[in-house]
Amino acid sequence: EAHADDDEIAALTRPDSSVAVGVAGMSGSANDRSFFGQYNGLRKNDTNLLLDLDYIKRDDATGTWTTIQGRDLGLNTREVRFGQQKQGDWKYSFEYDEMVRYDPRTINTSLLGAGSTSPVVSRLATIGAGDELNLNLKRKNVTVAVEKWLSKSLQFEASFKNEDKNGARLFGTGFNCPSGAAPTPTCTTLATGVNQWALLMLPEPINSTTKQFDARLNYSNDKLMLSGGYYGSFYNNEYTSMSATIDGNLNNPLGNPMGGAGLSSGLRNILQLPTALPPDNQAHQVFLSGNYAFTSTTRANFKYAYSHASQTDNFASFGNAPNGRTNLGGAIDTSLYQFGLTSRPISKLSLLANVRYEDRNDKTPIAAYNIEGTKVFTNGNYSPKRLNGKIEATYQLPAGYRATVGADYESLDRSSFLPSNSVAGLSGLRQKSEESGYRMELRRSMSETLTGAIGYQSSNRTGSGWLKPNPGLGVTETSNAAIYSRTAIFPMSMVDRQRDKVKASADWAATEQLSVQFMLEWGEDQFSAPTTKGLRSSHMGFYGVDAVYVLSDAWKLTGYWSRGDQTTHVDHSTGYMAALRNLSDTYGLGLVGKPTSRLDVGADIMLTDDKNEYNQGLDASASTANKTLLATSGGLPDVTFRQFTVKMFGKYALQKNSAVRLDLIHQHTKMNEWTWGYNGTPFAYSDNTSVYLNPRQNVTYLGATYIVALP
Amino acid sequence: ADAPANTGAKPPAKDLVLKGDAKCTTCHDEADEPKLLHIGKTKHGTVADGRTPSCSNCHGDSDLHTNNPAKLKERPPTDRSFKKGTTTPVEARNEACVSCHRKDAKRSHWEGSAHQRADVACTSCHQLHTAKDKVADKRTQPEVCFTCHKEQRAQVSKPSHHPVLEGKVACSDCHNAHGSVGPKLVKRDSVVETCYTCHMEKRGPFVHSHQPVTEDCGNCHNPHGTVAESLLKARTPFLCHQCHTPHGGQLAQLRGQLPNQPTATSSGKSGINYTQARGCLNCHTQVHGSNNPSATNPTPQFNLR
Repeated sequence: EAHADDDEIAALTRPDSSVAVGVAGMSGSANDRSFFGQYNGLRKNDTNLLLDLDYIKRDDATGTWTTIQGRDLGLNTREVRFGQQKQGDWKYSFEYDEMVRYDPRTINTSLLGAGSTSPVVSRLATIGAGDELNLNLKRKNVTVAVEKWLSKSLQFEASFKNEDKNGARLFGTGFNCPSGAAPTPTCTTLATGVNQWALLMLPEPINSTTKQFDARLNYSNDKLMLSGGYYGSFYNNEYTSMSATIDGNLNNPLGNPMGGAGLSSGLRNILQLPTALPPDNQAHQVFLSGNYAFTSTTRANFKYAYSHASQTDNFASFGNAPNGRTNLGGAIDTSLYQFGLTSRPISKLSLLANVRYEDRNDKTPIAAYNIEGTKVFTNGNYSPKRLNGKIEATYQLPAGYRATVGADYESLDRSSFLPSNSVAGLSGLRQKSEESGYRMELRRSMSETLTGAIGYQSSNRTGSGWLKPNPGLGVTETSNAAIYSRTAIFPMSMVDRQRDKVKASADWAATEQLSVQFMLEWGEDQFSAPTTKGLRSSHMGFYGVDAVYVLSDAWKLTGYWSRGDQTTHVDHSTGYMAALRNLSDTYGLGLVGKPTSRLDVGADIMLTDDKNEYNQGLDASASTANKTLLATSGGLPDVTFRQFTVKMFGKYALQKNSAVRLDLIHQHTKMNEWTWGYNGTPFAYSDNTSVYLNPRQNVTYLGATYIVALP
Repeated sequence: ADAPANTGAKPPAKDLVLKGDAKCTTCHDEADEPKLLHIGKTKHGTVADGRTPSCSNCHGDSDLHTNNPAKLKERPPTDRSFKKGTTTPVEARNEACVSCHRKDAKRSHWEGSAHQRADVACTSCHQLHTAKDKVADKRTQPEVCFTCHKEQRAQVSKPSHHPVLEGKVACSDCHNAHGSVGPKLVKRDSVVETCYTCHMEKRGPFVHSHQPVTEDCGNCHNPHGTVAESLLKARTPFLCHQCHTPHGGQLAQLRGQLPNQPTATSSGKSGINYTQARGCLNCHTQVHGSNNPSATNPTPQFNLR
């Protein structure tokens, strides 16, 4: 008998079931692992239960699977799944999973009711003397899915997903008096001639539900695949607005209580006005998509989708809505058309053409929502039409070369600008942008052990005439010469852009044991608009090497290094010229091995070393104060982030059906940034609330697990 | 019944896992490494499903490999080989998979997709002779994708990131590697629609909207990871200054940085207040849009509240 042991065959061909139970301990406090524990459910507790379950059974006679899976059951990131399916006939499943994000930063505050819609602000006497507040956001998902093959060519699929999101995130409010948005007498300069302003940290309360329902019918035969159905998505927020109460006085810019009569009633009232929270909204989509084979070498794919989105959340909690409006009445209809064709007319030539058109039609009624003194203006109306097209040809050349050339086109028509709308903080707008480009790539299999590719792409974006904001409402199309201003800023997504990019890669199987990958990317964007300011250019480089070395049948070593280097040049009307550079190195080293038939081991080391430089220069127009500031301070310091992680595991088989596993992780993180404080001086809100992050974090995780196979 | 005559010949080999696999499993049996029989643990090894393949459906009849008529020291490869360094063209390898999986609606746009055009083989990402296909498990999927997408491998380690390395969000939660109608193989028809599946509160429409938000979340965010908070491509005010003429005449400045410390009369629109904490968003909190309808002063234009 060639195959003596049927049990052995069964063990190799039967689905596996197992339970893994254990315990993990961690060093340090919750603040020492605010990076490590941001998402993995390991921030709060020093000791955690580890519990995973895989119950996978198959009835071989009918091909019916039963699956029960549990992941991280001892943590607040647990996932549970139960499903059954008769393969090729029917299928259903239930899933429940939790995900929590702990904000890595800790807030120190005297705020009451944090995370509610009615927080109460009272000035903290001393920075850092308040209560610690750690914000988190938890998502709980339930997904139900069903599938049924109605015939060999007809399949029905449906799924429903409900996500509850609860918690709070960093948020706030701020206002400066006097303000054009709040003309006298609402918000005035004090009699003493002193401005008043305040910034407050008010966590955004989150208690919302997202529902998504997807149902489709799929049909297929030898030539045609069609999928048509419905996708509905619904967002419901328990909260519509948040209103803070300000008790007592707040700080002046020096960090002392505001003098004189203290916080003015005008500013206090403004800070206590309702802040909008995300409104309920919903969208319904019907779609038809699929592909068709004209011949075995010529195929088409396509999609049509029509969506109706609406937003009619009630305005009741705000008051002061325009006459006749109880809600926005938001309604947007969107049609999407896509058609693609691929063909191989001769064996050496492949062709591709694809076109996509998206037509968004905003039917939201216009109303006068904004009053600023005597100026009255309305909500916007945004109905863009976007057209994308591409063609591409690939030809197999002699000597193992393969060449690809392609052309791409995109146009975006943002539709006419409403004359009753206002433009703020922009020097100009464009109704239409157009971008066209070409690309080419040459690949070669140079030998059985070396392959390489090099590619170049270039594109140019331009657009219609600039629309200059009127002194009052609306915009007027203006020639480049007439709209030119040395210090104007035009939107980054609308300005002219010349983009060039080069990409090269090589795979080299140096020996039987060693393989190496090289890659290099370089890119440059040059922006232009009728100005000398704004976004000027950006440059990127990314290169690296990966290697795999097979030491023996039992041991394998991997390693990589990559460097990203990106600089963005953005200039400003105050006279600064910034070169924002991000330099990022990533290193990795891995080892896996099987020193004995019972023991598996592995180790990974990873280092991320990231630096952001804020290089600033000044042009002749800079003020004396700014020249002095830059000369004295040297500008903004670098922001650096360095994280070193080592992970090790060992798994030892006690018996055929049981094993123990040890995991050790050590992570060291060092971050030097000035977002919430600089050189020992914290950034303080007007009530002395401050935000803190431990800049040097060390955490060690040790986990032990017992794994047993289920019969 | 008569007992069969004992001819001394070997009994015909029996199938071990798949229909008609005896031709292959005579050699590739339980002693073989790697354990090709592990395909029995998978959906492909579910013989009761009449659609499942035999070895030759994917690898070809492979008579040369089976019989090795030239008695070569190293057997010729199977007709359709998936091994590293194979000479079987990618298209021929993929046809072995696509000929059945073309019926799957999620793969309707494979032809012409970025991966198909880049000659990515199905087996570049998928492992079939194992119970656990790495790319099908969200905890191990990223290491498969990072084999090619190395810039993203570096980005997911930055302090502001989606929980990809933590195994809570997979690349396939946002991308359909098998082709899509949207750019960058995003799962739904556009970038914004893909982001809305988890961040639907940003969809609006709002009374006061912010146009680039409606256009493409990628205008301001890098979803794979950044050092700046909230996955922002650059810190405020520099990000905002790429579109907006800013107020105030000061350079970005930090509290505690000499010499322009705030004075009792410093404006709230100071270089400090739009650089530190949430930067411009300290006051313009509603950067994704505000549904505040208030039509009396101060109205919440400029996404203030």
